[in-house]
Parts: sequence; structure tokens; C-alpha cells
Amino acid sequence: MSEKQVMIRVQNLKKRFGNLEVLKDISLEVKKGEVVVLIGASGSGKSTLIRCINFLEMKDGGEIFIEGERIDPKKANLCKVRQKVGMVFQHFNLFPHKTVLENVIEAPVIVRKMSKQEASREALELLRKVGLEEKANVYPSSLSGGQKQRVAIARSLAMKPDIMLFDEPTSALDPELVGEVLETMKQLAREGMTMIIVTHEMGFAREVADWVAFMDQGRILEWGPPQEIFNNPREERTREFLNRVLK
Amino acid sequence: MPSFSHVVEEFIRTFPLFMKPLLLTFELTFASGVVGTVIGLLFALLKVSRIPLGPMLADLYITLIRGTPLIVQIFVLYFGFYKVVDLGQFWSASLALAVHSGAYIAEIFRGAIQSIDKGQMEAGLSLGMSPAQTMRRIILPQALKRSIPPLGNQFILLLKESSLAAFIAMEELFSMARRLSAETFDEMTFFLIVAVYYLVIVLFFTYLVKRLEQRLAKGDS
Repeated sequence: MSEKQVMIRVQNLKKRFGNLEVLKDISLEVKKGEVVVLIGASGSGKSTLIRCINFLEMKDGGEIFIEGERIDPKKANLCKVRQKVGMVFQHFNLFPHKTVLENVIEAPVIVRKMSKQEASREALELLRKVGLEEKANVYPSSLSGGQKQRVAIARSLAMKPDIMLFDEPTSALDPELVGEVLETMKQLAREGMTMIIVTHEMGFAREVADWVAFMDQGRILEWGPPQEIFNNPREERTREFLNRVLK
Repeated sequence: MPSFSHVVEEFIRTFPLFMKPLLLTFELTFASGVVGTVIGLLFALLKVSRIPLGPMLADLYITLIRGTPLIVQIFVLYFGFYKVVDLGQFWSASLALAVHSGAYIAEIFRGAIQSIDKGQMEAGLSLGMSPAQTMRRIILPQALKRSIPPLGNQFILLLKESSLAAFIAMEELFSMARRLSAETFDEMTFFLIVAVYYLVIVLFFTYLVKRLEQRLAKGDS
């Protein structure tokens, strides 16, 4: 084991929706600067897992540690926890009644109590980084899907999170718009952001992931470096899944 | 049946008499509309909140109002506000109407709040905003905008319902019609005339609501 800080530790996590056990005994660890990609068929629990990590879903069992601190959702200040853990959604969830710039400065101004001026300066820098500085004053409805998602990434980064979670960030995009979002995510990875990404983009996973986790029926069936998972999967189920999606 | 020309003559003759009652009808509608909107918003928030007993309290209020006739509510509330709390005639009548329409307005706001995509709340939370901050900054502005057309309709209903205030000694439109018909024994004429007053005001408000709706729709595209 290296000495890098463990950013996320999940122990024996369980989650059920009614009678359906969505997560059965999940354990994982993500260290500082690592990129973990979760793959698996839909319904395997990938999204639920990352939604549990920033407490949009409440776990039914097990423990979650963020930066070494055990989080008890009943006692912890979840707002504080979520400030460290950014999230990007499949359907962007931009605020339609606010301009691009207002979307990005909302949380820094309201939560961090930054001045609008200071927040705007930082927001414009983030928008430049995702290539959308000239769109600062338009409303989200006039953006393409790829642009929306890049704004959503900038909005999340504005809170200076230590960890970023991506829930199928390119699944709702037209194929020709996927690349620009993946490029932004690659850039983040290069800068050393700790990330957990749920995606069906296998090429991206192979290129960017430090670890790939294959999830099946609420369990992490296989965990390893991408070349191992993609070239030499140990589990029959992993091989079947990859055969299906890589065709 | 009075002749058409007779109704028109009487309309013109009594026009000055109807001006003060007309103003009172507007005042009643406006006052109870504003207070009813505040009550409605509070109970809508209570209904979607996780405050202990909050949703139950909101349900109780809405059930009581929806389950009893307006005229009964007006008498109970009016005499409650007038005799027990001593708020004066106008405010007792306005508050009675406000408490009534507040229940329907609460349902309008609740529906609008719940029609906002769940992803909006999740996005706010994921940025470290509290549920209350997200409600105030993200959900409510969008929900209020969606509420405006049904609120306009509620306002029109309220305007018509304010005629019931005639039965609690408010000198508004309908009460003037009752007085004139009693004085002249020409009931049909004056009830037709007052119907025209209401119809014209309602058509005017309907037009305003429609215009507002079109302007809001433009902002969406």
C-alpha cells in the first residue's frame, strides 16, 4: 500500500429499495488522485453506489468514510460532507432559471458566503477551463447537451471539492457531443482530481482509469487495473459483459 | 321578464350606485387574494416539509376547507374574526375568504413544487446547499412561476366568491343588487345587471391571465 491518503472508504455497504437489494455488501477504497471507473449492466447498482457516497441515497447498512472521517448521516452535517464531494448527473440538472454564470456562482455565494464579484471571477476562470467562457450570460436552455454537462462540471468544481462523482455523465448526450465532456474529465484526471465515474465509455475507462470495478447484481465482482479487467478478466460474468458492450 | 331596453336603462340609471360596491368587491378580492396566497404558500411548504406533524396539519386544514360549504366557512370565520377577535367588518370578511382560498392555493403551490424535477433538489444538495436553501433559491422560484396561471384562475374564483360577503353585511356588488331589487321589486333586472358586472370583470381578468401566461411561456423557450 502506498502512503497516499484514503479519500473514500466504503465498508460492507448495503442498500435496498423496498424488497429489492440493490447493493449487497460493497467495500472499496479510493486514494487521493485515483480515478475509479464503475462498469456493469444497468441495474447492477453503480449509480446507487455513488449516490450513497454523497448521501443522496441513505445506506441501510455498512460504513462510509470520507477523508478518514466516518459519516453518520443522522449526526453529520451532510452539507459540509457534500461540499467536499462534487457530483455530476446524467441529466445535468442545471438551474434553468439562472444563467450559466449564476449557476456556477450559486453555491459559492450562498454556501461559502463569497462575494458575487469574487465568485464570478473564479467562475469565469472555471468556464474558461471547460471552454465556455463566452456562454457565461446565456441561459442553459440555449446550450447543447455537451455544453450543459461542461457547465455542470464547472458548477461542481466551483465548490472546490476534493472528490468528484460522475453518474453516467455522457449517457444522455448525442454521440458527437460525448467527446468534449470526456476531454474535460480527462483534464481533471490529469490535474490529480480524485474521481469515481459510472460510465459505459469503455475506451475512456481504459485510458483514464487507475482502477476499473465491474459491478454485477449489487456486488463488485471484479476490481483491477484497466488492462487486467479489459484484457484478462478473471470472472466469466465480466467477460460476458465486455463481449456484449465491446462488440 | 324585463325587456332588454328596461335593463339597459336601469343599468345606466344605477351605474353611479354600483361604483362604491364595485370598489369594495375589488378590495375584498385583492386583500383576501394576497393574504390567501401567503397562507397557501405557508401550508404548501408545511405539506412538503419534514417538520413533525407539518404535513398532517396542512392536510387537516385543506380537508376542513374542502369538506365544508364556503357560505358556512364565511359565517363561522367572519363571526369568529369579527366578534371574538374584533378585527372589524372588512378584515373579518377578507380573512374569511383568505382562509378559504388559502387551502386551494396551498394545493396549487404544492403541485407546482412537486412538479419540479427531483434532480433540481439533488443538484442543490450535491453542491453543499441545505434543503431549505435549495427550496428557497432553486425550487420555489421555478415553482412560483408555474403557479401563476392557476393562481390567476383562483383569483377569478375568489372574485366571484366575494359575492357571498353580501350575506355578512358587506356593501359589495351583489349586496347592492339585492338592495335595489328589494327596493324596486324588480329583482330580475338587478340580478341580471350584477351578473353583467361580474362577467365583464371576469372576462377582463381572464384576458390578463392569458397575456401573463403567454409572456411566461416566451421566457421558457
